[in-house]
Amino acid sequence: MSTGVSLMLTLLFLTLIKSVPIVYAALGGVISERAGVVNIGLEGMMTAGAFSAVVFTNLTGSPIIGLIAGLFFGAVLGFVLGFAATFFKVDQIVAGVGINLVALGGAAYGLVLIFNQPGASPQVTQLAPEQLLPQITVAETAMIVLGLLCAFGLSWFIYRTPWGLRIQACGENPRAVTDAGLNPLRLRLYAVVASGALAGLGGAFLSICEVNLYSDGMTAGRGFIALAAVIFGRWTPWGATGAAVFFGFFEALQYVLQGRISWLPSDAMQALPYLAALFAIAGLVGRVRAPAADGVPY
Amino acid sequence: MHQHFELVRRLRVWQNIMLGREPRKGMLVDVDGARSRVAELAERNGLAIDPDALVEELPIGVQQRVELLRELEREPSVLLLDEPTAALAPAEIATLFATVVQLAKRGTAILVVTHKLQEVIDYTTRVSVMRHGKIVARYLTTETSTDEIARAMVGGELPQVAQREATGTQPCLSVRDLSAGVDTTTVSDLSFEVSAGEIVGIAGVEGNGQTALADAIAGMIPYTGAIELDGSADALKHRENIGIVPQDRHHEGLVLNWSIVENAILGRQNLPGIRKGALTNWAAARADAEAIIERFDVRAASADVAVRTLSGGNQQKLLVGRALLGDPRFVLAYQPTRGIDVGAAALVQSRLIEARNRGSAILLISFELDEILALADRVLVMFRGKITGSFSGADIDRGKIGRLMAGLT
Repeated sequence: MSTGVSLMLTLLFLTLIKSVPIVYAALGGVISERAGVVNIGLEGMMTAGAFSAVVFTNLTGSPIIGLIAGLFFGAVLGFVLGFAATFFKVDQIVAGVGINLVALGGAAYGLVLIFNQPGASPQVTQLAPEQLLPQITVAETAMIVLGLLCAFGLSWFIYRTPWGLRIQACGENPRAVTDAGLNPLRLRLYAVVASGALAGLGGAFLSICEVNLYSDGMTAGRGFIALAAVIFGRWTPWGATGAAVFFGFFEALQYVLQGRISWLPSDAMQALPYLAALFAIAGLVGRVRAPAADGVPY
Repeated sequence: MHQHFELVRRLRVWQNIMLGREPRKGMLVDVDGARSRVAELAERNGLAIDPDALVEELPIGVQQRVELLRELEREPSVLLLDEPTAALAPAEIATLFATVVQLAKRGTAILVVTHKLQEVIDYTTRVSVMRHGKIVARYLTTETSTDEIARAMVGGELPQVAQREATGTQPCLSVRDLSAGVDTTTVSDLSFEVSAGEIVGIAGVEGNGQTALADAIAGMIPYTGAIELDGSADALKHRENIGIVPQDRHHEGLVLNWSIVENAILGRQNLPGIRKGALTNWAAARADAEAIIERFDVRAASADVAVRTLSGGNQQKLLVGRALLGDPRFVLAYQPTRGIDVGAAALVQSRLIEARNRGSAILLISFELDEILALADRVLVMFRGKITGSFSGADIDRGKIGRLMAGLT
């Protein structure tokens, strides 16, 4: 196999792997924003998922339980944000930023408290690390498939079920939902909890599927990139999934280019996915329309 | 049913009507079942509707129909209508009430909240008058009149609306070949003039381009064509020359958390006299605020209270008072009596006529034909962004205008 072809294959597999956590978080962003809550806390929910997955894998020896813990603690933070943003009418952005800070600080403190070492956790059992293809493990493949199923399921849920219709109405005009005799606050809360669970799953992927430990700051802004993917994907599940893969491609590209372009400092290269997100969103200004009541407390 | 529609604009008609009571097929919404239920409901009530239409693409009158159907779907025994005709053309009003009267005959109790007295007389059986949160009078409709109801509403005689006096006919505002607008509200190739000392009324159902016209004149959106004041496009940019009463007092006119004094100079803050170098002359601002309070009978504890604490009528009086301060050459009054009681409305209308008598050119945009007929020297009818009729003096014909408003000829 020529180096060119193998490089392309590497890029392809890396794109798939790097997209996974962004896809989960972006799907979480879609359901939350369709219900009318801007989830700035996606980043923190990913952090919570990544950290708790490692803790519970370490505790039980089972990375599957770790994965479930990641989902669960993401959902817990989703509940906190959802509750604050609905029943307490806290500004969604402020609450979300708070979630991010608490999660990041909490995980850093947790490392010391639980593992007695700052910066990174010790290694734990990785989830199904057997190579399925040259570049990709069994767990990663499973998570890619599950991610696609989630996109499919979310799309089905939003557009075809009664609950999806109500969630859409919540994001557009919650008063219409009240008029219909339903409680938009409760619907929003459920949506944000689901959002957190998805983001937590994405975080857990980072720590126990891709590698086998948690280190401080390992989510590296993916929650924010996911928010950009939500907008770039026009608040639709498949759109956001596509946008997440698009950003994942730039992250993969950045890895592949590392060390191949000598004149460009690696720091500049690492900025590639963020720049891609920035330009993608800047190009869309004024041409996309968010749900009418997105970010507006009710 | 609410005065301001509570519809989900980006969903379809059937989705709005069936929201919360969706027929199901397993875990999914039974789309066909929902559609046919909406079609059947519309048929039964004589309200034509396309179940698959997107609500935001429907005209206001049809949106109202959706809102009504949504309430009817629940087969209520009591139906509460809050200002149901605020956005409707005369023909649509008749259709709506025909349906409502039918419902009443079939045993539904119906409560209509409205400030349009003619509707009360035409369609109801009993009337209660509310003032300051209390019911102050009750009548059987057949035994009362609009005058009696109006007196009960203001608690005494209605203030007399000022008489109009003869004024000159010097052109003041001229609009030529104006095209402007964004998606839902556009105007094209409008040309008209407003003379000094004249009130020109734009009659039309909400959503026929009035907002684009107002925004273009106010300089808020780009346009092609010419808008000139006394022959100069620049004169319109000078704040002292124009007074604007925006349509929506909460979003465009006032800052609710600010005091009356602050709101009184909002938009006028750079006028000589109000601005003193880099600072604001607060004494002058207060004097302006007190002049408005005095002339427009704004009821407030002091000029320093937040505008949020005022009633809608008093907020509106403040807004109109600010626009008329200093007798500007041209006044744009967009729905100047929107949602206020008859007493406050009569005062606002009187002040507009007085400004006209003193030589201001006034463009009055209103969705209420009665208001246009009461105030305007000349009436232009707007339909789908174009002027479809022009009437003045003795030619002003209510029936003809009403038909043009509905797009008939």
